[in-house]
Amino acid sequence: MSITNDTEGQSARANVGQMEARSSATLNAPRLAIKNVDFYYGANKALKGISLNLPEKQVTGMIGPSGCGKSTLLRVLNRMYDLYPGQRATGEVLLDGQNIIAPGVDLNQLRSRIGMVFQKPTPFPMSIYDNIAFGVKLHEKLTKAQMDERVEWSLSHAALWGEVKDRLSASAMGMSGGQQQRLCIARTIATRPEVILFDEPTSALDPISTLKIEELIDELKHQFTIAIVTHNMQQAARCADQVAFFYLGELVEVSTASQMFTAPREKRTQEYITGRFG
Amino acid sequence: MPNEAEHIVKSYEQELKRLATLLTEMGGMVEHQVADALAAIITKDSNAAGQAVEADPKVDAAEREVEAFVIRLLALRQPMAGDLRQIVGALKITGDLERIGDYAANIAKRSIVLQQFSLPYTLSGLAHMSRLVQENLKNVIDAVGESDTDRALDVWRSDAVIDDIYNALFRELVTYMMEDPRNITPCTHLLFIAKNLERIGDHATNIAETLYYAVTGESLLATRPKGDTSAYAVVRPVRD
Amino acid sequence: MSATISSGPARNTSVAEQMSRSRHRANSIVKALCVLATVIGLAFLASILWTLLSLGFGGISLNVFTEITKAPGSNGGLLNAIIGSLIQTILGAAIGTPIGIMVGTYLSEYAVGTRLGNIVRFISDILLSAPSILIGLFVYQIMVLGYGYSGIAGAISLAIIVIPVVVRTTEDQLRLIPTALREAAVALGAPKWKSIVYICYRSALDGIATGILLAVARVAGETAPLLFTSLGNDNWSVNLGKPMSSLPLTIYKFAGSPNDDWVQLAWAGALLITFGVLALNIIARIVLRPRS
Repeated sequence: MSITNDTEGQSARANVGQMEARSSATLNAPRLAIKNVDFYYGANKALKGISLNLPEKQVTGMIGPSGCGKSTLLRVLNRMYDLYPGQRATGEVLLDGQNIIAPGVDLNQLRSRIGMVFQKPTPFPMSIYDNIAFGVKLHEKLTKAQMDERVEWSLSHAALWGEVKDRLSASAMGMSGGQQQRLCIARTIATRPEVILFDEPTSALDPISTLKIEELIDELKHQFTIAIVTHNMQQAARCADQVAFFYLGELVEVSTASQMFTAPREKRTQEYITGRFG
Repeated sequence: MPNEAEHIVKSYEQELKRLATLLTEMGGMVEHQVADALAAIITKDSNAAGQAVEADPKVDAAEREVEAFVIRLLALRQPMAGDLRQIVGALKITGDLERIGDYAANIAKRSIVLQQFSLPYTLSGLAHMSRLVQENLKNVIDAVGESDTDRALDVWRSDAVIDDIYNALFRELVTYMMEDPRNITPCTHLLFIAKNLERIGDHATNIAETLYYAVTGESLLATRPKGDTSAYAVVRPVRD
Repeated sequence: MSATISSGPARNTSVAEQMSRSRHRANSIVKALCVLATVIGLAFLASILWTLLSLGFGGISLNVFTEITKAPGSNGGLLNAIIGSLIQTILGAAIGTPIGIMVGTYLSEYAVGTRLGNIVRFISDILLSAPSILIGLFVYQIMVLGYGYSGIAGAISLAIIVIPVVVRTTEDQLRLIPTALREAAVALGAPKWKSIVYICYRSALDGIATGILLAVARVAGETAPLLFTSLGNDNWSVNLGKPMSSLPLTIYKFAGSPNDDWVQLAWAGALLITFGVLALNIIARIVLRPRS
């Protein structure tokens, strides 16, 4: 009696069970490169050696406990700290190769390229149309027809056009909180920036308005590079492509969102994300 | 998960501990069930066979309990990172444990049939295989209880040995069947029993892989070395 | 297994009830006192208004608005006094308001927390409560001694009184605007002055306008500074370089005289001032009520 193995069948099994390695979400080339930035409130060093890239046309989420420096970093990126004496930043933030925190940068021009949406909706005390036109008029000379077009474009891309197109001359103060925040977003994108910074944009809104804004951010990222600071980790998980975790002024870990929330590398990140923070 | 810090919300911490306890209890039930089933074969103990069969509904109930608990945890706690891997891992592990229980019950039922036959050949091969499988099962369940990835890796590697023994058993039993047609019935049952044992070993290895991923966040090699070649084995009689 | 919150010491309900009753008593007493005080205050106000109305209303006639002040018994009016008051008040406000707004803006937008800002604010507050006669004497010293009594000197003294009121109102209204609104404008690329003019002023417009109206209402009735600056004029004059008539000064002159028709005119003038100021206040508070 001989016992043999069926050799033909064996070759067939060479590929059985061979799974493709799942590719993690890829990040684009950086639009804004933050290199070794320190930030001081007077003598107090609030940011320590931050280096981070913001990938082009993707969303970077910044998370961390209160006081960790994430909002501070955001406000470095559009030089908001210039309004307040005693606040200064060192290091480099490169936009198209130019360091925007060096002296001699035209701040008004910079802020038309890097826009910011704040936590509390801040409509100006003017009509809806004028709110949008305000930012545009600062930098461009447009005819009435061009301005009308720009206003419509901005409001459409902020998912607000349908709701307000019949009352553009009504005061902006008469809108609901969610609408006002979308108006602020429309106002920011009207100047056609390259980067949009969101500082906890939905923490003052109800859950449905929050979801509408998250959907909006999902749409906007096709055209703009976005950075969003959020207290809400689930929001970062839903919205961001890349997530950076800050703690006590340091950047602890940065990775893709799926990596960060399924298998973070650093112990401190794991502890914060799972709610074990002491 | 061997985490030094505890959750800020204590009830969450307690729920995770309860999940681990449920898993350990179920593992103990299944270990017992397998031991009973194998005793029924090797020592022809029909009490043990009965116990193994009766334990199966309890194992099924335990699996349903863990599954419901996991769904609840996912909905209410939104677990992340290590907690998420642990909770989803628990779901997979109870599935494997429940299948192991089913195989054990199947073995026990076949042992009752086998008692009608007197076998001219020893079951030493089968006994050896069953000892190895039981050892692997015990090791992997202990590893789950202690989140011990080293032990899980050992179990993962030692499945190859079990597969080799199974291949040998397969050929041996086919040989017996060809020698004497009266052997076909008992040998066929023994074949199924050996196959079930081999599957128990595979499920134990699955549990080891799941545990490894839950603890470290990395998968073991995508392909587990599958040593079971019986699917391709051809036994031909030598022409005289 | 988790720790339960302990319930604390038992409540002593009878002591609590006693304390509650005595609290209610005290509450009732104080409330009664407040109501009494209000009634007394209102009674005075009502009495003043009634006196004005009853004594002044009789003196209101077309003459008051068409004839200038004349000798007693000549059927004179108050035309030059009314026009003179209007000119000096409006001019004073026109001079003082822009200065006040700019100082208020400086204090609220550029000098927050600085030493200079604190000093300026302090001086403004002192000026706010300075006796107006001192201001009149100051303008007398710098202008009248050199150039004689004039309407413009009167207007300037009123302007000096208007300035600190407008400074205080402007600064307070601008301070109310949330920082986020300014930052939002700056974040769009607006230079600081544009964010102030287009955003802050627009938001604070109602409040600032109210402040201006209240300042005007205040200076409309000022007598002491005008005594030393525009002196008053019995004839018709709208020449700012010469002494100018005004209602308060005319009332001062006529009320103490022994002539009945002059006294009557004085009451009529008092009535006019009072209701003019009342009208301004009503406009300020009701028509320009701040939008919520």
